[in-house]
Amino acid sequence: MLEFDGLRKSFGEVRVLEGVGFTVQPGSMFGFCGSNGAGKTTTMRIAMGLVRPDAGEVRWRGRLLDQASRRRVGYMPEERGLYPKMKVGEQVAYFARLHGLDAAAATRAAGEWVERLGLGARRDEQVEKLSLGNQQRVQLAAALVSRPEVLILDEPFSGLDPVGVDSLAEALLGQVREGVPVVFSSHQLDLVERLCDSVGILARGRMVATGTVEELRRREAGRLLRVVVPDAAPGWADGLGGTRVVSERAGDTLLELAPDTDDQTVLGAALRTGRVTHFAWQQPTLVELFRGAVAAPAGAEVAA
Amino acid sequence: MTAPHDPSSGELVRLVAGREIATRIRDKGFIISSIVILLVIVGAVLVQVLTGSGEDQRRVGLVGGDAALVGALEAQGEALDVDVEVVEFDDAAAARTAVDEEDVDGALLAGDDELLVHESAGGTLEAIVQGAVGQLAVAEQLTDAGIGQLDVPEVAVTALDADAAADQQQVVAAIFGVVILYSLLILFGQFIAQGVVEEKSSRVVELLLATMRPWQLLAGKILGLGLLALGQIVAIGVVAVGAALAFDVVDVPGDLISTVAIVIAWFVLGYAWYAAVFAVAASLVSRQEDLATVLMPTSMVLIVAFFIGIQAASDPGGLLARVTSYVPGLSPLVMPVRQAAGEVAAWEIALAVALMLVAIVLVVRVGGRVYSGALLRTGGKIKLREALAAERA
Repeated sequence: MLEFDGLRKSFGEVRVLEGVGFTVQPGSMFGFCGSNGAGKTTTMRIAMGLVRPDAGEVRWRGRLLDQASRRRVGYMPEERGLYPKMKVGEQVAYFARLHGLDAAAATRAAGEWVERLGLGARRDEQVEKLSLGNQQRVQLAAALVSRPEVLILDEPFSGLDPVGVDSLAEALLGQVREGVPVVFSSHQLDLVERLCDSVGILARGRMVATGTVEELRRREAGRLLRVVVPDAAPGWADGLGGTRVVSERAGDTLLELAPDTDDQTVLGAALRTGRVTHFAWQQPTLVELFRGAVAAPAGAEVAA
Repeated sequence: MTAPHDPSSGELVRLVAGREIATRIRDKGFIISSIVILLVIVGAVLVQVLTGSGEDQRRVGLVGGDAALVGALEAQGEALDVDVEVVEFDDAAAARTAVDEEDVDGALLAGDDELLVHESAGGTLEAIVQGAVGQLAVAEQLTDAGIGQLDVPEVAVTALDADAAADQQQVVAAIFGVVILYSLLILFGQFIAQGVVEEKSSRVVELLLATMRPWQLLAGKILGLGLLALGQIVAIGVVAVGAALAFDVVDVPGDLISTVAIVIAWFVLGYAWYAAVFAVAASLVSRQEDLATVLMPTSMVLIVAFFIGIQAASDPGGLLARVTSYVPGLSPLVMPVRQAAGEVAAWEIALAVALMLVAIVLVVRVGGRVYSGALLRTGGKIKLREALAAERA
């Protein structure tokens, strides 16, 4: 189990993390979401020993993640980092050696990964001559080459075309199947929803929601009601008690109901305007969950 | 596949150093510059050979005249520090042709007391011939007058500073050494600085620091390039000494070799200091364009040291040279000159080395902290104080 526990960090006056904690089970994928500047990168950098936390720690298999055990972590920084003038194969082998493989094993493993990620023909090219997508693959190869026990990836999907996204997703799922816990941050919430077993949403330095997508959904479900009333005059729902209009366009209305509001009262009001072509509780997408969680005022933090 | 192990500090430093060396060795610019430096050295020695001994040689044709005249010509040449080679011709016509073809510098027709030259005789040639002929004539007339054995006292020459000439050669060697030392320090300082910025600007440093500590990275870079620089200066030293010996430029090979060894030893100290300072300065910026600005102060120190070193060659015992030869950072370029000039006591050298070592330790310790604080900060230029504060954070 990979545990992030009570991480706090301030840079000068700015408090970036105020007690961030979550756990990732072996063989599961954890999607780490949050607005820009929420502290995702800082959290990951703390795990990699690049930033010293003011409090809290990161544990792997119950033991503090230190310089030695970090060598068993595959890491992809947010700002991609490779030597531009070094050849692909040599570069991957170099990182394998830094992670403790001996020369022969490093060369062999580098060859395997370069081949596996479809870079076989580019092995002897300088990294700077590769397309961005291919550079990204080299970056992934550098993270995977030492057969890490844990993967921590900061925005691994950013800048990839759909084909690149699919092949990276496939590679990560392959790692998960081998029992590796994978943590990655992303702004592409559809992707997080599709790939991740569990999700954490970071806002204002705290985890405002963690759990499986399903759990988060259940928590939010029953609050948003979509009603389509083509004949209604604009503002038809404004006077209804216990509801708030989230959006309204040509009769397509999204309403947020207070916990004790009866949905049948809303239906009655809708019918009075004329035809009702759609009336259903909305299944929130992760995007909506995210918006809700991030918009919630500080202190209203809930864990599903 | 063998299981990964936890590499020791030594292993990590070696890995970094190995990468630095492998990258540089394959760099065409580096190879070409190395070869050019070696060629320049050999060229410089050759110039020394051609300008040094080529001028002071005269071929004098001789028609008629006897062994006494040949001897007198050679003796006269020796007195004027010129190698005189006498070529005998059968008649004036042959001598005339030889002069025309510039086979000889001039031809003396002994019977007529006439000197044939191509354009003009030049002071030296005329002095030699005039002196020789005159001397012989005087001797003949003295003999004719019955004074056979003339007791002319010979002047004994006693050199008061017998070592001066040899010292002078060593100083020349030391100046050469300082020029090379300066060039290599600048060159490899730039290499280090560019390497540090490359790692920062490409952000690869974040990946590196996830596997090693900043000091291991710093040490690996300095050691790797240092070995390369050492190899280069030793190669230059060997080629220079070899060329100097082959062309017979130096009088005392042992002194030259010791001067070269002194220069190399000071290079090691100077390199350690400048490399660390350059690396730390470079860690404060994230773009190659900003590099010149942060390297300026250190480059200025190096340039000042260089000029003091050159100046010290003409006045090795002067106050400026004496004081600066203790100052860390300046001493590597001044002390070798003073040592070559042979005007330093052992304690002075020991003091300079000790101060330099202290300075190196300081730079590595303080610099290492700045380096670790600054490495992960990108964008703009970081102030020294910020970097130190970030390291503690």
